[in-house]
Amino acid sequence: MRHLTDGTLRRIVDEPLAVTAADQAHLHGCLECKSRSNGIAGDARATATMLMVPAFDPDPARALIAVQARITRDEAARPRRWYERWIDRSTPRLRPLATPAIAVVLAAVLISGVAVSGAAGQLVRIFQPSTIVAVPVSPSSVPGRNVLLDYGQVKWLPEAPNAQPVTDPARAHELSGLPLLVPASLPSGVSGPVSYGVVSHATGSLTFDAARLKASAAKAGVRVSPMPAAIDGSTLIVSGGPALIEAWGLSGAEGQTQVPTLVIAQTRVPTVDSSGATNAQLEDYLLSQPGVPPDFAAQVKAIKDPSTTLPIPIPKGFATTETKTVNGIQYLVIKTALGAGVVWVKNGVIYAVGGQLTPDQVLAIATSLH
Amino acid sequence: MLYARAWRPMVVRVPLSAASRPVPDPFERLFLQEYPKVVAIAYRVLADRSAAEDVAQEVFMKFHRSVSPDSEQASGWLHAAAVHSALNVIRGERRRARRESTHALDPSTPAAVDPQHLVEAAEQRREVRRALSHLPERTAAILMLRYSGLSYAEVATALRIRVGNVGTLLRRAEGALRKEVNRATSD
Repeated sequence: MRHLTDGTLRRIVDEPLAVTAADQAHLHGCLECKSRSNGIAGDARATATMLMVPAFDPDPARALIAVQARITRDEAARPRRWYERWIDRSTPRLRPLATPAIAVVLAAVLISGVAVSGAAGQLVRIFQPSTIVAVPVSPSSVPGRNVLLDYGQVKWLPEAPNAQPVTDPARAHELSGLPLLVPASLPSGVSGPVSYGVVSHATGSLTFDAARLKASAAKAGVRVSPMPAAIDGSTLIVSGGPALIEAWGLSGAEGQTQVPTLVIAQTRVPTVDSSGATNAQLEDYLLSQPGVPPDFAAQVKAIKDPSTTLPIPIPKGFATTETKTVNGIQYLVIKTALGAGVVWVKNGVIYAVGGQLTPDQVLAIATSLH
Repeated sequence: MLYARAWRPMVVRVPLSAASRPVPDPFERLFLQEYPKVVAIAYRVLADRSAAEDVAQEVFMKFHRSVSPDSEQASGWLHAAAVHSALNVIRGERRRARRESTHALDPSTPAAVDPQHLVEAAEQRREVRRALSHLPERTAAILMLRYSGLSYAEVATALRIRVGNVGTLLRRAEGALRKEVNRATSD
């Protein structure tokens, strides 16, 4: 007869129901195991007495406040990450494009031209891009001052996207669920270890609220047209990510300003769902908001199939664009004074390659990725 | 008319209530759920409330910087970090000396308790923690995790061992601690 192991007998002391019925039956009928079990239980009690500490009832809510305060302090003191420094250095003229008004207009772009179900309480998928198009914007028509208007309640479901640097490529793949892309060859001047960044998948909703917009416009001293009743209370749900970024040429010390020589990025296409308001109401209303350059609005309205087209604003004088077709895929090649980039959409994923390179070099990398 | 074009939208129907429900922050939710366990592990090792709270705070700060709160390994990571961080503290001679001097008497213990008993209990805790600091890391960790109230499954997850091995390792760890305490008292 096989007796129970010390490990099984020890577990019976703490978690008697976690062992098999056969082991329990054996213990019940085996004097030797019973005797060993009593000894083991006695040792456990003695250890518990040795390790006893006075009662302590911690306060998680108070501790959470302390930790959140430290996180806030740490993040304020954190050196800016490479991609934040890179955006600041290389695209100062693009920053005004990040106004909330533009973001809302982009949402309108995605919606325009699409039949939206009017059934309350249901959402309809209204945007899923499969092509991209450059929309030239005159920098002089972009307002220099950000107009922070509150169009309604924004919620993240369940949380806002977060970006994190990752050193291990396998971990980057695991976190993003996207394959690592490798160019067939690297141009001279691009070398060294690769840095990775992963942005999580996120879904956010915006529920339009006329009263909040009116109050925020009054506070900002901006005149806005009244929100149509059909838009007030309707919800847009925008879903994006995950994204995976691979960057070359960032091997320097932390805190030192660096510009990557090559960046390869990919993200699943964003999608937009809507409830309530019609496409016409949303497009007309949002494109007339403060901060929207008139030339941008006009070109957005002219997009042939906005439901499946992702517009990319290109500042006139800062960059020029050209469309190239290779193996049936359309690549949007962007040339700037600092380098070149190429963007394309394939199988539900948006890809971008850019760096301090020529348009031919970025296109060669883009078409050789595997 | 823009919207009169031939286009067939992909339709996904979900209840709007799912979009409007208030959603707690995942880090906050995890913190409130796991903080009592994390601080209990550190307290079991250190026998010192403020030191245990300090360790727990450091563990959550490190977690926030390096692990997603949605990760399946989040709880196991926190438990393992708590026990290893606290064991590192008791292995630091200078810190231990300072702690002993400030915590010889527990200020929250009712005044009616016999002072002689308090001194003896504090002395015994010091002896046990000293013995604990001499045990191998995994041996001390399994003891502290289990005696902090973690289940065998939670101990196994934190230490990345099979749950079927926890009983055996725990039994050996108890024997090792007893032996170390006896050795220290007989010296």
